[in-house]
Amino acid sequence: MRFNEKELLCISKQPSEKAAELGMRGPKKGDVVKRRLVKLVINFLFYFRTDEEEPAGALLLEQCKVEQEEPMAFSVAFLDESEKKYLFECESSEQCQEWVESLTRASYEFMRRSLMFYRSEIHKLTGKDPLEQYGISEEARFQVSSQRP
Amino acid sequence: MLLRFLLQKPKSDKMKLNERSVVHYATCDSPADKTGHLYKKGERNTAYHRRWFVLKGNMLFYFEDKESKEPIGVIILEGCTVELCESMEEYAFAVKFSCAKSRTYKMAAESQAGMESWVKALSRASFDYMRLVVHELEKQLEEMQTLHGLPGTARSHKKSSGRAKSKSISAAAPAVATLAKGPQATYNRSQEETVHFATTAKENGVAWNKPNVVLNGLCPTNQGSKTLPGESCSNDGTKPPPVPPRRKTVTGGVTSTLESPVSPGTVCFSKLHDWYGKEVTALRTQWQQDQ
Repeated sequence: MRFNEKELLCISKQPSEKAAELGMRGPKKGDVVKRRLVKLVINFLFYFRTDEEEPAGALLLEQCKVEQEEPMAFSVAFLDESEKKYLFECESSEQCQEWVESLTRASYEFMRRSLMFYRSEIHKLTGKDPLEQYGISEEARFQVSSQRP
Repeated sequence: MLLRFLLQKPKSDKMKLNERSVVHYATCDSPADKTGHLYKKGERNTAYHRRWFVLKGNMLFYFEDKESKEPIGVIILEGCTVELCESMEEYAFAVKFSCAKSRTYKMAAESQAGMESWVKALSRASFDYMRLVVHELEKQLEEMQTLHGLPGTARSHKKSSGRAKSKSISAAAPAVATLAKGPQATYNRSQEETVHFATTAKENGVAWNKPNVVLNGLCPTNQGSKTLPGESCSNDGTKPPPVPPRRKTVTGGVTSTLESPVSPGTVCFSKLHDWYGKEVTALRTQWQQDQ
């Protein structure tokens, strides 16, 4: 599948929500733990080989499950192959928990749900839809009932 | 010979992407934001090809046709603008990226309405835009809760990460409705302490349906818990989701995320929104002139 790699590269260079050097192990049998600079930018998790400017790879964080595996390690698995997990080893359990929290909230879908929540709460207080003023209240992606194709 | 070999920069491997899972995201039954046929200009073969497009979040997938099992490709919609372009094709528009050496994607819709609809959807598809909207609403809710003397569910869950509040937004928030086309926001500090949003005569009330249904199955995750996205929880729903993370620099400092990468000066949401709105207006005007 083609994707616009240059733009993805551009995204990887933007300021990140979270970045740290972690131990990372791929999902395949035989993959071993390697030190990687792991960087969260919007809904992508980039991983760089230490001292390289461009990421070795990126994970789109949609339709995924983030779990704490051990006190100091968490996993990222995608719903189409949920047994295949990417494992990340942290320096402390606190760091591990922070990453789990951040990655759980990193998806576009999560943001969409936040938006629906705020929209609903504001509507409860005011009787008005806060998205109306921005002219985006009709957009399919903000609709409660999923009649979208 | 050896020197030449050493001087040659090795061609870097293409960045890996979790393609299989991305393809799954494209084809799974999570609702799409927009789908339809569009003509897309090829990269090497410069003819326009009719493709089936599926927009989910900030990912624009394109398939050979509606029945295809896998997308041919995906366009990641961050840091881009959507503009009308000069073309022999009717209803043509282009998706342009601000980063260096980027490709411009030229597309054409099948009707005027289709073009306007796609341009609008694509120009607001970015994660950044969505995040801005969420932050705006979060602020509005906070302010309302303060005004009402409510427990401040939004505030109590705010991360105390010491990030700087953008002054322009805090100041603008109560007045933000006034900056958009029409609605006047007046805080009526009467005995009832209600907040009134007077709307324009053109009431756009169609979209808001069934507010009571909203939280069913859409309960946001609680901060600190390990509830996962997609997991629903009971509808006691006053706990708001944790704030979507603001961008931090790698050193842990905070940057204002409100400046659109492609429109300087859009440091507050209302400006950014106006800017988007102007784009659409400009497109419309241009089309009318071309008629």
